[in-house]
Amino acid sequence: MGKKRRGPSLEELLAQPFCYYCAKIFLDLKILISHQKAKHFKCERCGRRLNTAGGLSVHMSQVHKEQLTAVDNALPNRSSLDVEIFGMEGVPEDVIQSHNQRVIAQYQQEEAERQSITGNPPPGASSSGGPPAKKPKVENISDLKKRLAEHKAKKAEARAGGSSGEATPVGAGLTPTSNVAGFSPANPVAPSQAAFSYPQPYGGAGSPYQSTASPVYPSFSPGGQPQFPPSTQYSTPVGYSPQPLPGYGNTPPQLHQQQPLQANPPQTAAFPPRTGSLPAAPSLPQRPAVGAPQVNAYQLQQMHMGHPLPGGSVVPSIPNGERPEATPFSSSIDDLISGAAKEADQAAAAHAALKPAETVEEKPSKKDKSKQSRLVYSDNETSPEEKMARLPRYAFAPDRRMETTLEELPPSAVVGTIRESETIVDPAQ
Amino acid sequence: MTSNQFTIASPPTDAISALKFSPTPGSTRFVVSSWDKNVYVYDLRDENGNLGEGKLLQKFEHRAPVLDVCFGATEDEIYTAGLDWDVKRIDLATSTQTILSSHDAGVRSVVYSKEHNTVISASWDNTLHVHRMSDDRDTVVASTIIPLPSKPFSMSLTATKLVVAMASRALHIYDLKALSILTGESQGPNPSKVEVEPWQRRESSLKFMTRSVACMPDDAGYASSSIEGRVAVEWFDPSAESQARKYAFKCHRQAQEDVDVVYPVNALAFHPIYGTFASGGGDGVVALWDGIAKRRIRQYQKYPSSVAAVSFSSNGKYLAIAISPGYESGKDDVVDGTVKIYVRELGETEAKGKGAK
Repeated sequence: MGKKRRGPSLEELLAQPFCYYCAKIFLDLKILISHQKAKHFKCERCGRRLNTAGGLSVHMSQVHKEQLTAVDNALPNRSSLDVEIFGMEGVPEDVIQSHNQRVIAQYQQEEAERQSITGNPPPGASSSGGPPAKKPKVENISDLKKRLAEHKAKKAEARAGGSSGEATPVGAGLTPTSNVAGFSPANPVAPSQAAFSYPQPYGGAGSPYQSTASPVYPSFSPGGQPQFPPSTQYSTPVGYSPQPLPGYGNTPPQLHQQQPLQANPPQTAAFPPRTGSLPAAPSLPQRPAVGAPQVNAYQLQQMHMGHPLPGGSVVPSIPNGERPEATPFSSSIDDLISGAAKEADQAAAAHAALKPAETVEEKPSKKDKSKQSRLVYSDNETSPEEKMARLPRYAFAPDRRMETTLEELPPSAVVGTIRESETIVDPAQ
Repeated sequence: MTSNQFTIASPPTDAISALKFSPTPGSTRFVVSSWDKNVYVYDLRDENGNLGEGKLLQKFEHRAPVLDVCFGATEDEIYTAGLDWDVKRIDLATSTQTILSSHDAGVRSVVYSKEHNTVISASWDNTLHVHRMSDDRDTVVASTIIPLPSKPFSMSLTATKLVVAMASRALHIYDLKALSILTGESQGPNPSKVEVEPWQRRESSLKFMTRSVACMPDDAGYASSSIEGRVAVEWFDPSAESQARKYAFKCHRQAQEDVDVVYPVNALAFHPIYGTFASGGGDGVVALWDGIAKRRIRQYQKYPSSVAAVSFSSNGKYLAIAISPGYESGKDDVVDGTVKIYVRELGETEAKGKGAK
């Protein structure tokens, strides 16, 4: 989706001409001039439209022998004839200044309001200053497939070559950035507990966790929630990666999380093994057979998970290396993909959330184009008078008096033509 | 250049169906017909001939709501038509009421042609009744019933033509002279039914039901309005050039949010001197138009309810505006005090066209 222009920029607003006399803002100078001719320089007597107040004054005195004292329809302090105005010409500098200030103030106020409503960045701060919340979503959706492809390629590559070799360096690069420092000193045990405790509070935090842990806490996996919170929260889990780090290198931990989890459904059980799971890494190839199907069944992303599984043993390490560049949070392909799916949803949701603001602006314009009209009186067959005539209070039953010059008609015809007589006792014919 | 406007005391108690100024030069008398079954005669002048804010002179009760009224040869006689199916002549001086004829359904409109001394009424029984009056207009000398293809909704005449706007967008233009001669051939007071081919048969230029029709004072053409906020201006002259001049325009609409609310144009009246015309809509707005220059001259502040009728005085100095609530919706009750007659004293050039510019 392309960016929507939500309104004129401040520069454009400032460039719009305005009427000196009534401060009305116009989109076009021509319209301003015709406005002035129609509203301020028009002769009351003959309707002639003059170009300037002076012109009108001369016209009034010459043609109508009247003295023009003030400009019509002008603001109280602007009705003077002394200022010669034509369009924007002749407008005193101080008036322009104060007008501009007003425009700016109004613009800023509107901007602030809009920001508070939509949470969008100000128009100026588009790409660079964009809030993290919106940008990544958009990017991820578009880039995801590419990254997935890359990832697969790498995966295949990794399968062919050694996994850890590549992965560790990258992962190492990652860990320092995260809170390695804080966690690394900690005991392997304590972090593991910490690591375990995280997933719960964070709910959907680490989608990778949940996806794997889902067998145990299915509720978590659907809770997949925002993947952005994860991104931030994930960093803390990553923290425990240091714990394996000393032994195994930091990247694998994320892999481990999955491995053990899938291998051992109970979550509690899953974590302790995790620390020691690295040795199990070689055994990973088995995992697909056991754990993968389960997990897949729970997740939307099952089909995506299908991909990593074959290469399951090697997979995690490599993606780790890549991810940090693109998305800080995603650690495994499952994660990435599940994230993608969610992002798609979220992006949609986010757009939906944003839309109200946008659509409010859009809709009127759309409708303007195909302006619908509503007839106040839409019965094209029966006139209002006929309708009223049928109301009981206007009912009239004719008595055929002999003084009329009209020939008598058969009574049936009479009854037929007069509807109101239905509700009324027909008097003697 | 504020124009004076005042309301007339003792207005009708129910919706107004028609309002007409007397065509007598200099007269400030006007008649109003109402759904309260009465016809009201007002005059802006008091007994001493001083122009004031208008007062009720007379009131004539009918057996049923009155749908139309018009002045006769003098301003002391009026003709009325209404839901009692009758076409009546009322002598204001003697207050005598004479029934000219009775239709087979409510009578929607009545007009009087001074040139042919003829009263013509149009009724929902799909007929016109043409009454040739005696010279003292006490009796009908001869009359004819002319069948119409559809229900008539509005009627207007000039010195030579009669325009009848009907349902199904039909519009007939009759030559008054022909009608008069034809009627003269029929003998005695008993009406004869005659199929008459109109001088011109037209289809309305407007897609929706015709609400009102009014002829230009110079006998050149007419304006018609529809329930769908539109007015058409056409010329009688059947030549291609004249027909090419006809046009229609939108009016009496209000943009509300994203919907255009379209009001019926209930009333049209030409200015007797300038040839401009006024339109009154269901939106309570009265606008003055220059039909030749195709310009709006001015639009007056919205009135509190739907405009039911407008009329210029014969000297063109006054514009009377009748408003009635719920006129088009057929609402059930009319709140007291919502039916009003405004009279606007026009400035010297207030209704004058500006000319193309």
